[in-house]
Amino acid sequence: MSAAALTPPEAARWAARAGLVLPAERHAAVAAVANHIHGVVTVLRELDFADVPPAAAYRAGEAGEAGEEKRDAAV
Amino acid sequence: MQPYELSLTAAADAIRARRLSPVELVDSVLDRIEKVEPGLGAYVTVAAEQARRAAGEAEHEVAQGRYRGPLHGIPMGLKDLIDVSGMATTASSRVRAGHRAAADSTVAARLGEAGAILLGKTHTHEFAFGLTTPQTRNAWDRGRVAGGSSGGSAVAVASGTATFALGTDTGGSIRVPAALNGVVGLKPTYGLVPRHGVTSLSWSLDHVGPVTRTVEDAALVLTALAGHDPRDPASLSVPAADYRPGAGTDLTGLRIGLPRTYYFDHVHPQVETAVRHAIGQLEALGAQLVEVDIPMTRYIQATQWGLMVPEAGAYHEGSLRTVPELYQEDVRILLEASELMSAGDYVRAQRSRTLMRAEWARTLEAVDVIAAPSVPMPAVGADEETVTWPDGTVESVSDAYVRLSAPANITGIPALTVPVGHDSAGMPIGMQLLGRPLGEPTLLRVGHAYEQTRPARALGGQKQSVQFNELA
Repeated sequence: MSAAALTPPEAARWAARAGLVLPAERHAAVAAVANHIHGVVTVLRELDFADVPPAAAYRAGEAGEAGEEKRDAAV
Repeated sequence: MQPYELSLTAAADAIRARRLSPVELVDSVLDRIEKVEPGLGAYVTVAAEQARRAAGEAEHEVAQGRYRGPLHGIPMGLKDLIDVSGMATTASSRVRAGHRAAADSTVAARLGEAGAILLGKTHTHEFAFGLTTPQTRNAWDRGRVAGGSSGGSAVAVASGTATFALGTDTGGSIRVPAALNGVVGLKPTYGLVPRHGVTSLSWSLDHVGPVTRTVEDAALVLTALAGHDPRDPASLSVPAADYRPGAGTDLTGLRIGLPRTYYFDHVHPQVETAVRHAIGQLEALGAQLVEVDIPMTRYIQATQWGLMVPEAGAYHEGSLRTVPELYQEDVRILLEASELMSAGDYVRAQRSRTLMRAEWARTLEAVDVIAAPSVPMPAVGADEETVTWPDGTVESVSDAYVRLSAPANITGIPALTVPVGHDSAGMPIGMQLLGRPLGEPTLLRVGHAYEQTRPARALGGQKQSVQFNELA
């Protein structure tokens, strides 16, 4: 296990910080899956992003169009 | 030949010419459902009476000279993430018990307007978060996975229990089951087909598209689906278009990219042979093959996961706290673990996507289409969880099935899977054609031209080849 890997109690605490209370019997399994996901996505830290923005950057003119529509979700 | 065996195109021609009535077609498909659906499990719900009533109305309209177009009277299945007014959208999940959609999704409304007839809702891997669809069995071998997440849609089309269907694709969920069941699947350009009223897995990766028996069928469905809808913030403003490909098969002047990297790595040898043979057919039709290097391959899975996992976690945040026990274990644990990812992980994935889109755009300046396998191996046994490659690498089945699909989800480019043969066990193999953004006409032209070089394909599980294009 790498130094960055979460232990089961740490996974439970991180989940609690996110507002998700995990039953004790799930701590180990969630930690294992979270560590696996971390191992996959951490490779992105190798990239030199310089000033590259995230792809989610939006165009304000188009946002207004969508924003005028009635939304189902309560806000 | 029975009406349920017809391609959409052939059925439409027969209905327009009044050689076939929508009632005959719908009855034939419903009879087929009665016969084979119990062994396949493609459908969550079959609305037989509603379909028969709609077929009667469609027949009446044709008799009155009110022909709506090629989808008039054509029976379809919709993946059960797609809202249809008054029906449950179950997402194949207990979490959605008691659900009832208040209105049609944009795609259901557009297909209804075009005259298509809803047979029922097809199974998805729970909330589209998986690649196998365990409720459903492969149309060619019931001991093997259907693929997913649009497994029900692909199996229905492959087995004759829907003339066409819709799926959704976030990391291959249209193309994977289409390839594993020997049918055509199109993931359109991101934003071309509106997703309003379709349950999301990952907003920035989700697409809706057709699953059909031929490329021409996919073009007819896309023509009805495409077009701007401001209720989907990603929806593109593009003019209406007729996507039906021309009859010609001459590909002279077309440059087809043959990947030197990534797409043929860790691929089953029989898949590689079949796809390379199909690419040879494209060359024989006049296309020029150009070798290409796939950019940023080391970061594809990381980018896909960095986008999909947190977005899925966000969508399910509420129900994961109130009814976590109602999720299947494989989905629940991914949603729980998603909450432990950092904002930095997500933003890095979005920045990686920016780089990847630019690199792919450069690659696609040199070629018109890239041709590659759709999935690295045919359908595996339902109880298999990993695949071991000849160099000893062990890969989960889900990771393997996503691997060749993810680039088109990350970059938003269109991708089409077309059947190109079978392995020695008789399981279907698919070739993937990838194009430039809004390059659907080129993909459909190439796919259609390829199909003209092949004998008619059989429906799943039928020993004899079935001609899709004519009534007996």
